[in-house]
Amino acid sequence: MATTRTRVSSFSHNVSSLKSSQHPGLKNGPNGTTFVSSGISDLDKILGGGFSLGSLVMIMEDAEAPHHMLLLRNFMSQGLLHRQPLLYASPSKDPRAFLGTLPSPGSSKDDTSHKPSHEKDLRIAWQYKKYFGEPQLNINTNNGGHHDYCNDLDLRKPLERHFFTSNNVDCVSIQNSPNLDALKDRCAEFLAQFSRNEGSISSAGRIAIQSFCSPQCKYSDMEWHMLSFIRSLKGMARSSNVVVVVTFPPSLLSPSCSKRLQHMADTLLSVRAIPDEDKELAKLLTGYQDMVGLLNVHKVARLNTQVPVILDATTFSIKLQKRRFLVFECLNQAPVDGSGGSSYGNSGVCSTSTKAGPLDF
Amino acid sequence: MAESVCRSLRDGVLEGELAPALTIKDSLSSPFGFNVFSHILVQLSSHIVAGKSQSRGMVIVSLSRSPSSYTGLLKMNGVDVESSKKWIHILDCYTDPLGWKDKTRKSGDIMDPSNQILSSYKTVKDVNKLFSVICDLGRGLVGENKSRFCVAIDSLSELLRHSSMQSVASLLSNLRSHDQISSIFGLLHSDLHEERALAAVEYTSSIVASVDPFHHSVDGQGSYIRNSSEPNLTKGKLNIRSKRRNGRVRVTCEEFKVGPSGISFAPVSAVDGAAVAGLIPKVQFNLQLSEKELVDRSRVVLPFEHQGNGKPIQIYDGRRSLEESNNETTPISGGKKEESGRGEIIYFRDSDDEMPDSDEDPDDDLDI
Repeated sequence: MATTRTRVSSFSHNVSSLKSSQHPGLKNGPNGTTFVSSGISDLDKILGGGFSLGSLVMIMEDAEAPHHMLLLRNFMSQGLLHRQPLLYASPSKDPRAFLGTLPSPGSSKDDTSHKPSHEKDLRIAWQYKKYFGEPQLNINTNNGGHHDYCNDLDLRKPLERHFFTSNNVDCVSIQNSPNLDALKDRCAEFLAQFSRNEGSISSAGRIAIQSFCSPQCKYSDMEWHMLSFIRSLKGMARSSNVVVVVTFPPSLLSPSCSKRLQHMADTLLSVRAIPDEDKELAKLLTGYQDMVGLLNVHKVARLNTQVPVILDATTFSIKLQKRRFLVFECLNQAPVDGSGGSSYGNSGVCSTSTKAGPLDF
Repeated sequence: MAESVCRSLRDGVLEGELAPALTIKDSLSSPFGFNVFSHILVQLSSHIVAGKSQSRGMVIVSLSRSPSSYTGLLKMNGVDVESSKKWIHILDCYTDPLGWKDKTRKSGDIMDPSNQILSSYKTVKDVNKLFSVICDLGRGLVGENKSRFCVAIDSLSELLRHSSMQSVASLLSNLRSHDQISSIFGLLHSDLHEERALAAVEYTSSIVASVDPFHHSVDGQGSYIRNSSEPNLTKGKLNIRSKRRNGRVRVTCEEFKVGPSGISFAPVSAVDGAAVAGLIPKVQFNLQLSEKELVDRSRVVLPFEHQGNGKPIQIYDGRRSLEESNNETTPISGGKKEESGRGEIIYFRDSDDEMPDSDEDPDDDLDI
């Protein structure tokens, strides 16, 4: 009977036993990394567990759609639910007002009804099966403790105020500052609380920077300044137990700056808008009515290892289930005649060509 | 439709959201941006006067045309500018945008005090001051209560000429987030600016209406004599991309015709398919099952599943075929030969020492 066992090499990292009971927001990852949830269970599954602590996640926005805000909201809310301190920077005048739109865990527990339960119904035709009591081959979907690690967040239900009126949320407005030094100092201060040492992880933090090079910021034409800010932020984050999420609109930058920012990311995602009421798209994709956009996963962070992650699919559709819950689904496409076109179209950088480029930092 | 654009400007903003912002973009190949702008201006003004729109007043920031041309335009289209209830104010940034006349004039400036709807603005480079002046004027029109007003910016290109892209972008976003502004719209000439400035303005606006030549050139390089025929000087296409609240983009296209009486719109005759193929990867197989397929799959009876339902469970041990699937009587041992008219293959085991499984068809144990 073939059981799937993760291949353990002879050198296994001596991970200090991480307490899923004490820290529900943290999960052990491969190669000695620790994951925190992104707030969206589908995204956690796609990325293999969540966002790694110490990594830099960059989300490329689409100028025509606000989907990056959905991702940010779930990310921030999940952190607050796990009592992880948060630093939020945005180009609006009053970033605190955004906290009022953070989602709260949904009350309905029907998340299993929409998931295709194909794995549970795997039936094997085996003549000796009759002799055994229960079916032996039920695939374990790891539901134990799942609800604590990643909540199903209801985007229509605002998060209760007590989660963010306490002093673990810090908001910064980057609109009026002439350069990024003030933000860099705030980030450094925040990251210093979570510096990684040999002991076990006491707590994790999250930094969310929204619309990093938005045109109303005064520093938005100082490209090298922005690049060096991101680089130093990434360096500081690597040695601390924090996940940094930065969203930026690549269409507002020069192509070289945008490429450099993309290369700097450990995990790179992009969201794209879809045209409304487009008959061609409706014919091509099933479930088009519920879709609000597309998510592309370009790169997945792999810390402490050189083995890259190769995903089966890199393009997912963003749907709002019941207009509340954010889900990502694989695209279901009608069979096409297969004439021409590579299998991933123009959907961006292949996940294997990560840091092998001529740029070296 | 230009109708839908006018409607969204008329309906204005919902509480807690940013005001809709329209950018009309034209270029040398189809320079009818101002016609579209004035059409929308007239439509919105008549809605305001009739009380059908969310905004109760309008502030026009005129940078590229004189204020009197606007009053003339509105009067010509039957909109009452001189009504008793003041609803419009024009900020004159055209006559003296940089304040040069003040510097050269020796005597005091001669301003027409009787003109109620006009104020002069002399420091176009100071965008912050412009923002506060616009807000003050608007508040003067509609009062301090919850009423809103809308803002029309004659030419964003002129603004971008005088000040930096960041300040114009911050002006637009401040206007959008101001709680007394219902909607804003402005005109932009796309070939006067860099790509980044255009991208920044499009980023901060919620509807982009681009005025394109009638025969759309394949490469958007802007050389306006594309075909052998003359460039069309009266007709064109209006491509509208509006960002909806759910994150989708509504793309519509209309034809327009400019005549002496103004501009008229018509729905476009032929629709060319949008290139959506670039968005999705070319996955060839549908790997998910539909509902019907799921139901059908659960109905398939697999081998061995129907055993044990009352009948004794039979396990194939390699020596004999199962009785359910075995219809012919094939002798396993012995040397009897049978003949039949059907042409069967009859196999005689040589001895019983052979491994029991080697001579059997592995498919025999399937119990279907």
